[in-house]
Amino acid sequence: MSTYRISEVSRKINLSADTLRYYEKIGLLPPVSRNSAGIRVYDDQDLSRLGFIRRAQTMNFSLAEIGQLLEMRTSPQNARNEVRELTQRKLLEVEKNLGELGTLRDELQLLVNLCQGSEEGCPILEGIAQKEQR
Amino acid sequence: MFGFIFLAGSGGMTVVLVEVFISNFCEKCSNAMFMVEQETARIDTTRFDVLTVDVIEQIDHAVALGVLATPAIAIDGKLVFTGLPTPQTLRTELVKHIAVDDK
Repeated sequence: MSTYRISEVSRKINLSADTLRYYEKIGLLPPVSRNSAGIRVYDDQDLSRLGFIRRAQTMNFSLAEIGQLLEMRTSPQNARNEVRELTQRKLLEVEKNLGELGTLRDELQLLVNLCQGSEEGCPILEGIAQKEQR
Repeated sequence: MFGFIFLAGSGGMTVVLVEVFISNFCEKCSNAMFMVEQETARIDTTRFDVLTVDVIEQIDHAVALGVLATPAIAIDGKLVFTGLPTPQTLRTELVKHIAVDDK
């Protein structure tokens, strides 16, 4: 298993070292191993957990919610009912967002395709303006 | 020929909605509109409701039907052609939809 220093994790996950320490402090991350010099040494599981936190944050989940989801992620069979319900609700939110992202992707694809077929200009800005007017 | 077949029993029949998705920036769009008008007329104009949809003005509707390029043709709310079909292919599809509606 690979190990990483906090600076490496910070670069990989795109979170500051202070944030990584904070997550450990509030329990989002279990106590990170230390080497003989007392320096934090993260492993792949830590990275995976941090990646999950990062993704959940992009969905605007609160840290408290993320903590509960991590509980589910660690042991889905033993998760409390409220955690299971939260996970179900969050799953629906993710699916809704995926649907909206898919629509946005298609809109952008259409606009890009129109641009490519045009010799007189690009309607992308016109399209975005139409959307904003609604 | 098709016109004769379907006119024979056209009373009270449903109208097939044909939407031609166009943009100002597409060279083939006018061909698509012309072809749809021509082929629906060859079959029976009264059986079709032909609409021209500017994808920029109605982008939500266009995307909802899966239109990602112009020209595109939707029949009865379903995207059937992206790009310009041949007249024969279009005619076949239009006739198929009339046949379905007549069942």
